[in-house]
Amino acid sequence: MTVVENRPEPRKANKDYSGLPEASPMGAPLDWAWLRGAKSEWGVRPKPSPRGLTMLDIAVGAYGEVPDHPQHRSMAPRGCDVEGDTPDMGYILNKKTDVWADNTRELYEEAVARQWSATRDIPWGDLQELDDDVEHAMCQLCTLLTEVEMIAADLPAKWMWRMNHDFIEAKMFLCTQIMDEARHAEVFRKRALSNGGGLLLSRSGPTSLLRTIIEAKTYTQATALMHLLGEGFVLDIFRMGELISPSDVEKRMFRMCMQDEARHVAYGTMHLRYAVENDPDVAEEIHEALDHGEMVLTEFGTAPDVSTALAVLLAGGVEHVEDKGFPLALEMTKKQFTSYLARCERAGVSRLERTQIPLDLLGIDIETIKRSAA
Amino acid sequence: MKIDDVAFFKLMQSEMNADPDRFRLLGDADTVFAIVMEDGRATFRVRIRFEELNCVEVGPGAPDTIVDFSLVGPLTAWQAMFDDVLANGRATGLQTINSLVLLGDEVRLTGDDPMGLDKFSRFNQTLQEYIDGAARAAVATT
Repeated sequence: MTVVENRPEPRKANKDYSGLPEASPMGAPLDWAWLRGAKSEWGVRPKPSPRGLTMLDIAVGAYGEVPDHPQHRSMAPRGCDVEGDTPDMGYILNKKTDVWADNTRELYEEAVARQWSATRDIPWGDLQELDDDVEHAMCQLCTLLTEVEMIAADLPAKWMWRMNHDFIEAKMFLCTQIMDEARHAEVFRKRALSNGGGLLLSRSGPTSLLRTIIEAKTYTQATALMHLLGEGFVLDIFRMGELISPSDVEKRMFRMCMQDEARHVAYGTMHLRYAVENDPDVAEEIHEALDHGEMVLTEFGTAPDVSTALAVLLAGGVEHVEDKGFPLALEMTKKQFTSYLARCERAGVSRLERTQIPLDLLGIDIETIKRSAA
Repeated sequence: MKIDDVAFFKLMQSEMNADPDRFRLLGDADTVFAIVMEDGRATFRVRIRFEELNCVEVGPGAPDTIVDFSLVGPLTAWQAMFDDVLANGRATGLQTINSLVLLGDEVRLTGDDPMGLDKFSRFNQTLQEYIDGAARAAVATT
């Protein structure tokens, strides 16, 4: 049973169930405790909102209270009565600060409401024949994105079974993230294969970054590396998608992915904020992860194959890659790092005094970041 | 059409609410935001609220009105964006709201709440469809 103060008294049965049989016709003992009165709340009638019955609507009374330190380690639903000898599922994330974010329920409902189909909702039939260099660049970018997107599915999957089941809403949201990332891998794979090109090169750089993320020692470190750093950067690539898309097909693809990715970043940012606010010691743990992660990400972001493909797309072809592509790519990199540092501020883990990112070289204005996060 | 007028945004509201199927594909959107057009010393501000598949509120927004995010830029930049929408039936090239904000040369995304700012990205396609509704509204009113 979840420990909640002022919990109502056990429900008194309004019927007399004392005469029920104690054994089945086969002689097996019967249990009527669930009928005769459980300690959990009874008579809860959450009202559906206009869109239906949401997770926010049913977060009422004891059912809506997420304990800081759950008593049990079983998969019993939060709010029910739990037998004392319930098996331990082996959870290691048993503090609310380990996984929670205040926007979890809202993001879950949003994710469910805004699912889309990479098969149906992208106008694949409108793809146009592109110049060879532009098609190659798009295919190279899609190769990379197909590779990196699934880390944001693998990583939650690695940790979810370790999360205490009282944090069910956080687990449910992460399930939506896994579905989102499957769709992203699908849409970029489809784009690479659908216009006369194909999957191109995979180098070691991205895999090094992915390995850093998947091997994070704690979930909070993993979240910092994945949601804040990795997905934050990918979100900015998706936002940039409008500038690099040769047709409306890619624009639509990037914009739909952007909406999903923004939810993931929103969860990660707010989880880190919740964790740091409630357990300030965790901040150093996050900083250590980001110290390393920023170095690996910088190597990844400046990898020659990634930067050249982006530059060609930004320039609309190889002809203007030097006078247009690379300068625009540098400007975008500056925006990516600026966004990342602003997110860190919002998450309560300011990196401005600690980061090894060459802010001066990139022309990043610290005061702008401070103002945007104030 | 005069774009620094609440009536203009109400036309887009009518377009959105008349075509739920267009927005159902994108899913529910719940956000309240402001569009701010600066023209010298005059500032036009409109407050817009989306709930589920509908635009439920369009009205003048006081400077201290609480919104998830604000999109702030010179009237000339907004005019260029809506001219593009009207000319092409939807925003094209760098005149999409995401591109304008990403470039940040003129139109800026502002707000005090990080969760609110995120909503610009989370509901971006819905916002773009709402803005593109200006073209459909123009057709409907001619």
